[in-house]
Amino acid sequence: MEHFAQLLHLSPAMAWMVVKLIIAFAAPLVLAAVLTWVERRGAAMIQDRIGPNRAAILGRWRLLGLVQLAADGIKFFLKEDLVTRDANKTLFWLAPFMAFVPAMMGFAVIPFGRSFVENGTAYHLSLLDPGNGMGMLYPMAIGSVAVYGILTASWSSNNKWSILGGMRSSAQMVSYEIGMSVAVLAIFMTTGGYDPHQIIAAQDSVLHWNVVRHFFGFLVFFTCMFAETNRLPFDFAEGESEIVAGFHTEYGSMKFALLQLSEYVHIVVASSLIVTLYFGGWQVPFVKDPAVLLSVLSFAGKVVFFCWVFIWIRWTLPRFRFDQLMFLGWKVMLPLSLANLLVHAYFMHRWG
Amino acid sequence: MAVVVKKVELNWVDRTYVIPVLKGMAITIGHFFRQIFTPSRKRFTVQYPDWKREPAPGFRGLHELKRFEDGSIKCVACFMCAEACPARCITIEADEFGDLNRLQGFAEKRPKNFQIDMLRCIYCGMCEEACPKDAIWLRSDYEQASYDRLGMLFGKWDLMNTYADKDGKARITQDPTPSVPRAPGKA
Ligand code: SF4
Ligand code: SF4
Repeated sequence: MEHFAQLLHLSPAMAWMVVKLIIAFAAPLVLAAVLTWVERRGAAMIQDRIGPNRAAILGRWRLLGLVQLAADGIKFFLKEDLVTRDANKTLFWLAPFMAFVPAMMGFAVIPFGRSFVENGTAYHLSLLDPGNGMGMLYPMAIGSVAVYGILTASWSSNNKWSILGGMRSSAQMVSYEIGMSVAVLAIFMTTGGYDPHQIIAAQDSVLHWNVVRHFFGFLVFFTCMFAETNRLPFDFAEGESEIVAGFHTEYGSMKFALLQLSEYVHIVVASSLIVTLYFGGWQVPFVKDPAVLLSVLSFAGKVVFFCWVFIWIRWTLPRFRFDQLMFLGWKVMLPLSLANLLVHAYFMHRWG
Repeated sequence: MAVVVKKVELNWVDRTYVIPVLKGMAITIGHFFRQIFTPSRKRFTVQYPDWKREPAPGFRGLHELKRFEDGSIKCVACFMCAEACPARCITIEADEFGDLNRLQGFAEKRPKNFQIDMLRCIYCGMCEEACPKDAIWLRSDYEQASYDRLGMLFGKWDLMNTYADKDGKARITQDPTPSVPRAPGKA
């Protein structure tokens, strides 16, 4: 680390920040890009199809359809950039970024590996330092800001279907956010802190993982994550069988790609939230004090698994009806997470 | 007609939703692994441009106007197929054998033009059934596409040459129909 820092004429802390910045931005982005492939290919496999496999390098190497990623990218960049006539041009341009940037930002606070000490300096494997006072409230707050991107996209494209999609998305957000927050509140309560580091430290063995202690909270949070990422059982913003393609009906070329990519980045961030809050973050099962690399690998493995679960569930469940979602959000999820909170509060009160 | 929607009573296991969802996920992941561990030849999907499908024996595809061994057309321009065609897509122009006439013992016609509009054809096979000379066949070729409408108007030469090389018959551009009537029994 020291040598590397000297090479760049930076202080070690600064150089470390740069490295972390690159990791924290590149990792979710790359994972999201690969997820688009995983989703198409995995969906095909689940439905007994083959999936994308026509794109090939020099017409020969297909690499199981991975070349499709490059093909998609080239196509999106070269496509004509259409804007509908009466669209609000500024907002129309801004909206994809408004959806994309918050999705990216959520990852900043999540520790993707064990902190370590070198030459008397402590290095933390998360973009923001642990003691920053925002804790896990930050990714959740940022995550719900992403809905503004969707709303803006739908509003500015001047299309009734799009607006319907955006409205549905925001209504969905309202009905889910509370249940989700209360579920997370129970975790803050039992771990005694709302920093991700504290939460992870409290889950030092498999039996202490929050998914065991807060099973119902986990169910609520997990379901809400689907609503938050606009994934299939709850993808009311898109709802292509009812409202054409929802909020991104009018989008094409790279702007559409950005909207689509932000959904996948959202999945990555949501998975890492689930992992951090309920599955011990970078903790390795049955290993006390894992090596730094092992802890990073463990975290990555868990995140990839949950990303796959997102895709897996998408191709298992049909879309809910809107009133079913409302019912679920207000009458099932909220009471469930409240009960979870109260039960934990009671037991904490009794046994300290 | 009123549709009666049957209400399904859910037991408490199904009402939790979690267990049924897990069951469904087990099913989908089962499909996933089955598909992954099946060699690609054995999967359901026919990877079309690379592998072609073998159509069923009775498949009706592109038309062919049959020829005799000497290359002359079997069709006698009797218009039966055009009459039988429910889509009315066959247009025939009859032609008499050049310098021969009825007194010289000639009794047959031949098509000067024979056109099928493949865009209108419904591949019903009625023409095949109607033809008294067994001159028009529907082959099993299903790959028919064109960049414009004109390309889907198949004329006489197209139909006589449909995949001619496959049965070892040479392609023709000139009508080899003999100017002398064929001896009876040879056809
Ligand atoms: S197959 Fe049917 S529709 Fe087509 S040309 Fe023959 S009779 Fe007409
Ligand atoms: S193809 Fe057969 S039915 Fe049609 S005109 Fe020729 S001989 Fe007659």
